Amino acid sequence: MNTLVVLAIVLLLLMAAIGGKKGVRSFVALFVNFFVLLVAVLIMTDPYADPIVLTLIACAIISCVTLFFINEVNSKTKTAFISTLVTTVLMLLFIFIVTEQSMIHGFGEEEVEEQTIYSYYLGIDFVKIAASVIIMSTIGAITDEAIAVSSPMFEIHKHNPSISRKALFLAGMRIGKDLLGTNANTLFFAFFGGYLALLIRYKDLEYTLGEIVNTKIFSAEMMTILCGGIGVALIIPITAWITAYVLTRR
Amino acid sequence: MNKCKNMLMYRENGQWIYWGILFFLCLGSLIFVNYNYSFYDRPIAQVIEISDERQVEVTDGSQNHDTVYTQSLVATIKNGEEKGQQLELTNEYSDSRAYHPKLSKGDDVFVSIEQTNTDKLVGSMLDMKRDQALLIVAWIFIFVLLAVGRKQGLFAMISLVVNALIIAYALELYIDTSNISLLFIMSGAVIVMTILSLLFVSGFQEQTYAAIISTLLGTFMLLFITVLVLWLTDEQGLRFEEMAFLSRPPQAIFMAGVLVGALGAVMDIGVSMASSLFSLYEKNNEISIKDLRESGIEIGKDIMGTMTNILFFAYVSGTIPSLLLYLMNDASLGFTLSMNLSLELTRALAGGIGIVLTIPIGLYTTILFIHRKQVKS
Repeated sequence: MNTLVVLAIVLLLLMAAIGGKKGVRSFVALFVNFFVLLVAVLIMTDPYADPIVLTLIACAIISCVTLFFINEVNSKTKTAFISTLVTTVLMLLFIFIVTEQSMIHGFGEEEVEEQTIYSYYLGIDFVKIAASVIIMSTIGAITDEAIAVSSPMFEIHKHNPSISRKALFLAGMRIGKDLLGTNANTLFFAFFGGYLALLIRYKDLEYTLGEIVNTKIFSAEMMTILCGGIGVALIIPITAWITAYVLTRR
Repeated sequence: MNKCKNMLMYRENGQWIYWGILFFLCLGSLIFVNYNYSFYDRPIAQVIEISDERQVEVTDGSQNHDTVYTQSLVATIKNGEEKGQQLELTNEYSDSRAYHPKLSKGDDVFVSIEQTNTDKLVGSMLDMKRDQALLIVAWIFIFVLLAVGRKQGLFAMISLVVNALIIAYALELYIDTSNISLLFIMSGAVIVMTILSLLFVSGFQEQTYAAIISTLLGTFMLLFITVLVLWLTDEQGLRFEEMAFLSRPPQAIFMAGVLVGALGAVMDIGVSMASSLFSLYEKNNEISIKDLRESGIEIGKDIMGTMTNILFFAYVSGTIPSLLLYLMNDASLGFTLSMNLSLELTRALAGGIGIVLTIPIGLYTTILFIHRKQVKS
């Protein structure tokens, strides 16, 4: 049997055994998200579709699925959703500038050498696609952190309804800070794991540090790590502020 | 009271010094990369003029339309023997910019110098100089993490650097002594990184030990299950050609990547389980094992969905450009997906299995530690 199918079945069984209904929902959510990503990619092949707009829509749907389907629609998940959207827009702007300036868009030498049979004159904007790759890699972490910060803030407000906006915001910041380390770590290790093969190639070919740092693929991956870190940090004050604002309106 | 105020002043002063030092380091390093040409062996040239730009409309075999531009450029060589001389360059890029970038005035590029027969030098462009942009983003990263996370932000960065160094050292060891398996070396690295990172996060206390044990058990269980499934299914459907650029057997490198990639997420689960159960115990020292188990499962349910999602997107998003390349060259959807995604999906699924497994492992390990404490007291 196909390895991927067996692994997927193992994961489903484990999630169902440990998480019950919510576990099954989490598994289904993974597939829905995969499907959303795939549809976004298929639409991107149209040269008239703007990859940035598509990415924003895809990110919105993905965080909807993660927040509203795995959890439920309530005021906590709604504020988390708004915070995710705001952060995504800000990060996309920043990342777009970064990719344009550092010219990490498109394929690296290594990749082009490997796939010489393909045409690279595709008529779609790879600068925008590079930006979309970076934000998509971190959307999971950003959404996770939004709900992890906003949900305890609601609890704090429930136990102490007269709390001031500033005190609530600071409480949210404190919660977020404690999560920052482990969340950033999750992303960093995931990226390291993916880049091991590339690092081995560089070492085998005896690239010098100066050469490695300037190659397109390596700098693109460093940028992904750095932007991911910026994203998981930036979501904290944004969520804390939005949640504090929503709770102390009136 | 006065003493308190003095201490506050002192702290504020300390903060100013701290930010000041950072600011100067930032400025100094930016100036350095701006003028570091002489540290490179490969010739670097700076574009000073775009003398000509021609464009041609092209249509490829799959009916994709694009415009190809040919830039003729004049650049000054910034290092090496020909330093200061002018160089003529050509650069070809397309509207989609899938390979070469569009050059503009002031860009630094690595070049190869081809002819030196006349007084004018001719060369071709190899790659961009990207260290400057990388450094700027790195500083933004440092400032944002420090501004938001303060001490925790600093810790996150230190652990990033330390773990990166450990991985680099492990790779070095693997390449120098090619008779030891990479998986074995990386397992060692995983143990060291787990212990260091978790001690760093929560210090020498019982809950840290519980987190370390559950993380290691979870990670190696995940490795065991993945190896077993790969062996039982004969790696059917996995396209190791994707890693063909390696001059080494890709399977071992892939498995090492799976191990390292899932470690962060598994650690996160281990820490969450241990710290939340210990805080329940601290609130109520008499709490029953049954209550602990129920709360633990609830906590686990909440985190497993989002954690698997994090890993999934971190892995799969990177394939978007290749997916587009294949699809727009009229490759079938099935071929495109299996060529580009089989390994990434395996990573994501294996990581997910690790995450979910660590929930009960973390739960029972922590309960064991708490039970021991309860019996003692």
